Amino acid sequence: MADEQDAKKRRKATEAAGKIGGMVRAAIGGTIKAKQEGKKLAYAFISSSYDEIIRAMDIVPVWTENYAGICGVKRDVNRFLERAESLGLSRSLCTYALCGIGFDQMREELGEMPPNSPWGGQARPDMMLSSGQILCDPRNKWYQASQQFMPDVPIYNVGLPWPMYEDDVDVDDVADYYIKHIVKELRGLIAFLEKQTGKKMDYDRLSGIVALAEHTWDLIWETYEMRRATPTPMDTGDAMNTMVPMVFMMGTQEAYDFYLALKAELQDKIDRKEGVIEDEKYRLLWGGGLPSWFALNDFNYFNSKGAVFPAETTYRLVEPIERLNIPNTSDPVERLAWRWLRYWTYWYDKARKRPGSEPDVERLIQYIEDYKIDGIVMHEAFSCRTWHLGLIWQLNQLKKIYRPIPVLSLGKPARRENPSLILESDIIDMSSYSEVETRSKIDAFIETLESLKSNQIA
Amino acid sequence: MSNETINGRGLAEAERLYRDYGIRAKKLKEQGQKSIAYVCALVPLEIIAAAGFIPIRIRGDVNEPITKGDIDLETIACPYARSCFDNAVKGRYSFCDGLAIPHSCDSTARTYSVWRYVLNFPYSHFINTPHTANTSALEFFRADLKNFLKSLGRFARSEITDAKLARYVELYNENRKKVMALYALRKQDPPLISGAEMVKALVAGLSLPVEEASDLYDQVREEILNRKDAAIKKLPRIMVVGSAIDNHDFMQLIEESGANVVVDDLCIGTREFGPPTAVTDDPMDGIADRYLNRINCPRTYREKKEGETLEDDLAARFGDAGKLAKEYAVDGVILYMYKYCDPFGFEIPVRKTWFESLGLPVLYIEDEYSAGTTGSLRTRIQAFLEVIE
Repeated sequence: MADEQDAKKRRKATEAAGKIGGMVRAAIGGTIKAKQEGKKLAYAFISSSYDEIIRAMDIVPVWTENYAGICGVKRDVNRFLERAESLGLSRSLCTYALCGIGFDQMREELGEMPPNSPWGGQARPDMMLSSGQILCDPRNKWYQASQQFMPDVPIYNVGLPWPMYEDDVDVDDVADYYIKHIVKELRGLIAFLEKQTGKKMDYDRLSGIVALAEHTWDLIWETYEMRRATPTPMDTGDAMNTMVPMVFMMGTQEAYDFYLALKAELQDKIDRKEGVIEDEKYRLLWGGGLPSWFALNDFNYFNSKGAVFPAETTYRLVEPIERLNIPNTSDPVERLAWRWLRYWTYWYDKARKRPGSEPDVERLIQYIEDYKIDGIVMHEAFSCRTWHLGLIWQLNQLKKIYRPIPVLSLGKPARRENPSLILESDIIDMSSYSEVETRSKIDAFIETLESLKSNQIA
Repeated sequence: MSNETINGRGLAEAERLYRDYGIRAKKLKEQGQKSIAYVCALVPLEIIAAAGFIPIRIRGDVNEPITKGDIDLETIACPYARSCFDNAVKGRYSFCDGLAIPHSCDSTARTYSVWRYVLNFPYSHFINTPHTANTSALEFFRADLKNFLKSLGRFARSEITDAKLARYVELYNENRKKVMALYALRKQDPPLISGAEMVKALVAGLSLPVEEASDLYDQVREEILNRKDAAIKKLPRIMVVGSAIDNHDFMQLIEESGANVVVDDLCIGTREFGPPTAVTDDPMDGIADRYLNRINCPRTYREKKEGETLEDDLAARFGDAGKLAKEYAVDGVILYMYKYCDPFGFEIPVRKTWFESLGLPVLYIEDEYSAGTTGSLRTRIQAFLEVIE
């Protein structure tokens, strides 16, 4: 419990981030209440381009990755992981999925929520919406594994490909067949939901929700760009909270209003020159990987050493809508398909302009420039290949191809170094985490930054 | 193929090509023949061959510690994929001219840029195999394969005609038939060819032009049929089920422990060589269908149809493996998975249940793709075989 209290005490820089806990709790409680009221519930994955469709059909999403994360934050994950392991599932698999499957099996066996489930538990779904992308194998397999305990709950798996970055293939050359397929997959999903709910999709309503979501995309982008300010008014520690409306509430007025309030709050802080910390010495980029949800206090530890994170690539799942060049269409499903394709290929053109670059590396470079970054921190979670493979190479490539703006140094132009730190542990499995070791790594990293800074001044 | 292109016959030649993997393609390179390296059974070999290249499957090496590969690739990737990458970084495929990687799993798809940039072949391409297998996915995949064909044609500076494609559909189907004819030699008790010998022969073939691979398989079969001194005894008959095995060591370990490996559901194995490509008016139709629908890998999501029970669903997903188990009269199944393999890993409980429902004892092993685990595995396998006996 002491650990749990520590986790709760993580100091947040913004009032908005402070509201998130309550919002998530209400949302999870809301799913349980919705179930009691007879509403249709769907297990769902974030970043699957179906948020607006679910909302338009009045289906209540149960974000299973979110619930696993909550179990992680509450440090109540072991009993579910161990249950999954006892079923024959390896601990080396995605721990979000293991936690979810373990929870489901326990709930189905008991016929009720496991005792003292974090925030009331995860409600039994009426359907499960898998997501077959390049992004994540577990999203393709998790619900299929859970279905063995809930054989009556149907699955719809939405296939959502996007083209990989290639030297000789332009996105526009292949967009036609990608869009055609994504649209069919989304229409298939709508037909499935219509069947499950017995009601027809209201396409005008869907268009309205898509438009609201896109206004929210722009608003988030504008808000997060404000973090370029020095001192930065909000860092990644808070962003790991403020991502909640972005990934779990997209297409709702509540999400839009949340970012409106956050934007106003950041503007106020910038006007008053109030930063996350008083004396901002080092500006860091969270350059990849999901955080250890049970150790978000590590961000405060960075802060205590004078380091802030004005930007992160994780959970920044929006780009300005206008820059996505979505073709004109009155069909909201087509629009969703185009937005999906354009979002995932957004950095391709930029990468082509720099020899040896690659979209993910290009994004790092852009953030380093825009947010005046001194160093990069990444997290390598052992159980998640989705977000954590390729990070080392990105750093190596960054060093090879990046030519930063030289800073003045007596005698010769100095090449700015970008020291990096890769933390190793997991997203929710605490067994691999050592606070002492993590913090001594952070200390060493800060010393490196300090030494580089001193050398630059000298 | 004649003796001009091989040094020995049958098993000895397979052993040589297995040990000195890629030697034939290196020799052919001196005559101007180009090769494309690839990973995974989901790469359509017919397209690569029709474009004039030898497809060379990248192997791992259980006896080689991963050293250089870890400089750019995280240790949380599938150990088999890491070993393949490590071998490639160490230059074992530097004779190849290009690289083809399919969307098989996160460990390959999420690292495509790493492979592409670090290995720096003159050509590379990602084949976007869908996760779902419905009509729309098939249409999409067909279009994506056409895109691959176009891209490869540009690199080869030659037109890949339907006639060429059809010719290689035929040649690869013939090749697969020959492999399955080798498998048939294991239906007898005792089997005529060991599991370790099979792995060597199959892997050797994956480094050759398809016609030569077919010849090699013929020679191996001929030798086996005429072999008088095979030391294979009547022992418990084991089926190995898992993702990819490209080294003979694991099969040898099982066989040294007192069993015969008589069949598998593996890449490189029946999963890869079993299903033929349908001969269709447009050859790409049959190719797309094979690589999306017929290669039964858990990375491709098979939908549980409306009204199907859980048992129906398992039968639809694992029925082909169950059929092989029956056909080859197996006494037990070893489920052999690599650590960090999400596509297979989430199926382990149901796969185990499925085989047990057929009355077959099952041993589940999660391994590291390293010869270093042999000792502990031997103990477990011996204990399992005692249960069977």
